[in-house]
Order: sequence, then C-alpha cells, then structure tokens
Amino acid sequence: MITTFKEELIRRLNLPFTPEDLHEDISLLGSGLGLDSLDALEIILCIESCFKIKIPDENVAVLRSINTVVDFVIEQQERKGVTA
Amino acid sequence: MRTSPLKDRFADKGAISRERYGVEVVARVADKQTECRAVRDAVGLTDFSFTRKYRILAEQGLDFLDGLLAGNVPKIRFGRVLHTFLADDDGLLVGDCYVANNDEEFILLCESIVPDGEIDRVMQAHGAAVAGVEDLTTSHVLLSLDGFKAWEIAKEIFGADVLGLPYLSIEVYPFQDQSVRLFRAGKTSEFGYLLLVPQAVAPALFDTLASAVEKHGGQLCGVDAHDDLRLEGRFFNIHAEGLRVRDPLVLGLQWMIDFDKDNFRGGEAIKRRRAQGIRRKIVGVAAEHGCDQLVTGAQIFHEGRTVAEVVANCHSFVLEQPLGLAVFPVELAYSGLSFRLAAADGPTVRTISMPPIMPKSLTVKLDEM
Repeated sequence: MITTFKEELIRRLNLPFTPEDLHEDISLLGSGLGLDSLDALEIILCIESCFKIKIPDENVAVLRSINTVVDFVIEQQERKGVTA
Repeated sequence: MRTSPLKDRFADKGAISRERYGVEVVARVADKQTECRAVRDAVGLTDFSFTRKYRILAEQGLDFLDGLLAGNVPKIRFGRVLHTFLADDDGLLVGDCYVANNDEEFILLCESIVPDGEIDRVMQAHGAAVAGVEDLTTSHVLLSLDGFKAWEIAKEIFGADVLGLPYLSIEVYPFQDQSVRLFRAGKTSEFGYLLLVPQAVAPALFDTLASAVEKHGGQLCGVDAHDDLRLEGRFFNIHAEGLRVRDPLVLGLQWMIDFDKDNFRGGEAIKRRRAQGIRRKIVGVAAEHGCDQLVTGAQIFHEGRTVAEVVANCHSFVLEQPLGLAVFPVELAYSGLSFRLAAADGPTVRTISMPPIMPKSLTVKLDEM
C-alpha cells in the first residue's frame, strides 16, 4: 500500500524522487516535500483514486505524512469492512 | 567560547546555559514541561543566536551556495526559503540550513554540529572570500518565536501582513529604523518565526517580544525544549539524531537533496551510497507510559538479538509517553511492529507513524483571519 501511494504521488506531482527516496514520515505539506495547497488537492485525489477512500474537507491533517495517510486509509478500510 | 549578545537578558530571567560545539546556548529557562506546554498551548521565545548566519549578494551567491549545499538554490523563488543541509566531503551532515532568497541577497542560516572554526574553514575553502560572503554571526541576533499563538505576537509587532506569509518564506520589516528579516519557519510543528536582528536593536526587540510572550501566557525557552518539540513534531533535529547518525539517507533527508544537480559538497559520496541502496532507516518508536529505558543509545531487540539503536528520545507532554527515533534495518523499518527495549526480555517498544501528535496550529487558518 505504501509503495503504491508513493509511486502515484511521484507520478501525479512529478516529484524528482524514487519511492525509496520518500521516507514514510516525510511531511507532505510545508516542510518536507514542500507541497502547497494546490498539491494538497492533488494528494487528496491521489488517495481517493488509489484507495477509493474519501478525505473529508476538514480532515487535511491526515496529510501530515505518508504514514498518517496510510494509517487513515487502513482505518477507513477496516471501518468499511465492519459495516459491510 | 562564542556567547549571545542577549546572554545577560536571558540570565536575568533565570536561564541556564551550556556549551555546545564551542558555543554557549540557553539550555532552559523554566522546567522542560513548562516550556514545551508553552509552545504547544501559547508561545515560546528562544535565543537561536548560536546559529551561523551569512549574507551573500545574489549575483555572487548563487553559484557559491549551490555548490556548497545539497538543495537546489537557483530554484528558490524570491521571498522563499529552502530547507537543506551542508555535508562534509564524505557526505555526512555538518549543518542544517535555511537559505532565503531575499531579493538582492541570499541569507544562509546554519545550525551546525561542528565548532565555528571548522565551518569557517569549509566556507573559505569553498571560496567565501571571492563570493563576498558576509558573516552576520556576531553582528546579528537570531530569535525564534514559536507556538500556537506566535502569529498573534508577530502580527502585533510587524502588522497584519505577516499573516499572509506562507511557511518557508522571508520578509523584511522595520524596527526602530533598522531592518528585521523575518523568516516564517520553525521546527516545532506550531507557528514559527525566526527573526534575524541587527545587534543594535536586538535588546529592544527582545524586550518587546518578551513582554508580548508574557502577555499571551507564553514562556522564554531553551534549546532542550526545542529538541523535544522537534522530535514530537517529527522535524529533523541535527543536534539529536543528526549528530548521532549523520548519514542523510539513513535519516530520510532525501527531500533536502537535488539529486539532478551536477555536484555539491559531499554529493558524490551521497549519490554513491544511494546507488548502492539504503540498508538502514530511521523510524519513530514509543514505549509505555512510565518506561524510563527509551533513551538515546539503548538497543532494540527482536527474537533475542539486537536489531536497532535509539538515536533520539524525549518525553511527549502531549501524549504523556516516551517517544524516540531508532535506526532499523530496512526490512524492519515499518510502523506498527513490536520489539523489546534494552534487553531481549525488556519492556515493549513499538514502531509508530510520525508525527504522533496533532499540533493545535493546524486548526488555525491564518489566511482567513
């Protein structure tokens, strides 16, 4: 899941890195990758397309790092599994 | 030993200082919990004058800085700041750097882990004299204003314009007929501003800031609290894990490097190691509340054998539990795994997703103020 997300992130944002270069704790916004609010929208689309998960508007804090995104996706998938 | 021009003012407030790489730094002013909570809930003011500070005219500075630092200096837009590092010839960390493109000048702020003399030798060997590098280290003071309410103080002193500054940007503001270069930066995960102030007005600005900090329920802080705040917010700390590990690839600092540029100091060694593949990686770890064995240097065990070492630690006053960073072999470097700490049958330590806290500042939208 982590590698899929990294590959999609690199492709969509045209980042000059390989998946191995992206540490899972790297900050996606501000410091770290230094992405801006437009990039944040692209990341949200990336998550939604990769994992079929919706990120609520008020929940951009999920984008703190690759690991926090993956934690959120796992939590949402588990929740879906419970309610399915 | 180099000391800060604000040494006496901090001492008057009860500051305890210590030596770090030949420079005196304010370690703490109150107890660590008070200082950490002040930054998370209100605001903290810290003397960062230990930082090396340089001014380089843009024309000469571009090639000088780009050949020196790992990041891409020509790509820094006007008014913006690049976070990158300075390495030695072996590609090991020497300094954690901010480079600001401030119209006709570049400003370099470098938190180094070597004595001043060594940095001076690096700068000279790299052609600092030819590039006209002006050393501001002793002529200027650097103050760090951090915290959930830091923006309120910045606004009161410099005007509402500061609210529009994006993270990693620079702007110049007048203060008593002098220019203060204000960096919207910081490594606590709360709002942060670094103020580069000419020594002539530094005491007056300090007094103004200190009064405002007190009014907003804040606290003067030392670097020990910042070490913990950086770890808790998962900002790279050159004085903790940086000093102990020194390899930027193991530390996950690839984002600070432009691998496409021809060369930079230590670049060949770093690119060579990258081509060989990374075998070790830094990961966040947490122990149970009350565990006192999650300390720097502690070994981490898996199935009876040592697999990792703790390279930084703190007590999180937000989570009320011990946190750390440890270097694992890549096959074990994932969050959500359990290990033993200090001995094969020691207490449990878990790898965790970082950052583990939700900073209050993330709930504030300055552009809507």
